[in-house]
Amino acid sequence: MYTLELKVNGRAYKVEVKATTTLLQVLREKLGITGPKVGCETGDCGACSVLVNGKLVKACITNALTVHGKEVLTVEGLGRPGAFHPLQLAFHEHYAAQCGFCTPGMLMAAKALLDENPKPTRDEVKEALSGNLCRCTGYVKIVDAIMAAAGEKA
Amino acid sequence: MSGGEFYRASSVQEALDLLAKYGAKAHVLAGGTDIMVKVNRRQLAPEVLVYIGECGLNYIKDLGDKVVIGGATPFAEILRSDVVKQKLPLLAEAVKHIGTPAIRNVGTIGGNLVTASPAADSSVPLLALGASVKLASKSGERVVPLEAFFKGPGETVRKPDELLVEVIIPVPDKDVKFAYHKIGRRKAGTLSVVAGAVIFKAEGGAPRGTAIARDQACYFEKCSQARVVLNAVAPTPLVAKKASALLEGSALDAELIAKVAKTAAEETSPIDDVRASAWYRRQASEGLVKSLLERIVA
Repeated sequence: MYTLELKVNGRAYKVEVKATTTLLQVLREKLGITGPKVGCETGDCGACSVLVNGKLVKACITNALTVHGKEVLTVEGLGRPGAFHPLQLAFHEHYAAQCGFCTPGMLMAAKALLDENPKPTRDEVKEALSGNLCRCTGYVKIVDAIMAAAGEKA
Repeated sequence: MSGGEFYRASSVQEALDLLAKYGAKAHVLAGGTDIMVKVNRRQLAPEVLVYIGECGLNYIKDLGDKVVIGGATPFAEILRSDVVKQKLPLLAEAVKHIGTPAIRNVGTIGGNLVTASPAADSSVPLLALGASVKLASKSGERVVPLEAFFKGPGETVRKPDELLVEVIIPVPDKDVKFAYHKIGRRKAGTLSVVAGAVIFKAEGGAPRGTAIARDQACYFEKCSQARVVLNAVAPTPLVAKKASALLEGSALDAELIAKVAKTAAEETSPIDDVRASAWYRRQASEGLVKSLLERIVA
């Protein structure tokens, strides 16, 4: 076992992991942070998307030990009741969630986009979400919500 | 339950020492976009992981007539690089179609090549550009042309104690003609059914849009340094040598375009898999090469 030190949503943690433990296993099973979802476990669906040092990654195929000393942001760190992130509010206003399973990943992919490109085009939003699948196929409203959030930020 | 070991190399030297010590037991981990998928699918239980993501192999150097990219450089940084955009537009174009943003953030150029999938996305532009890879071990370094690097699906000439430290890409002449396209089952985040690139230097030819160009005696009087490359249609990414040779020194006209495309398809040896049948892949290869050449002369 190896000791992994990381920050998640601003809080420091120290956990014991194996050589092949994934970041998603650490978040969900060791820390009880269940916003990132277990979907495909092959890096395809994006339900587990989180930010590591500001960069979008798929937690399911991120070896946990490669995140040693880094900062992770999950949907739990994006906002909370009473203080939602503009993206969360926009998703709410635009009905951008159906079953909700993909939503945490969608929000993190959207945040990664707007952090780098605050005024994206619709095509740039679609490209940014290309690694996040919504099996309710609610993409139009998700893109609408992100465009609206980007407008609000300006 | 895997009782594997994990080592974080803090320098290339340390990585090479670890590879010398553990040899074939060691799996080099960079972005993990291939290795961790295999771990999750229980297809791989590595005895030793050597993590090279933070050992100083993340860089893009402009050396004038060549660009050198560190083996652990993620595709997102290659996509962002002004040097790559200006000097290697073919590579820049192809990298856009690799994976999805989160995959490009961590997946590396060296990892993509060493994994040696017949569908390796980066192999197409790199073979077209005549790239080489530098392999380092404790006992020294060697530079291998990428064309001689792949041996079969998942197999390369890399020895267990060697690390792919650099990809060396000659900068083509500014006026070189090229085109790239990837055919997949969907637009993003997919493996190739077939992807291809065509590149050559062109001399002479009618200005675009002129009557001569439209009536096409020939589009270019002479092609040179030609390469036709395809992936996912052979055990390794394929330089279609006969098709490339047809272009070499020739005048490019509609007849030659058709012949090059047909020849390239004949050089493939595709298999049936979940993405496409062998028959489809061969048809698609011909259509792809034709459309790449037509795009160049359009």
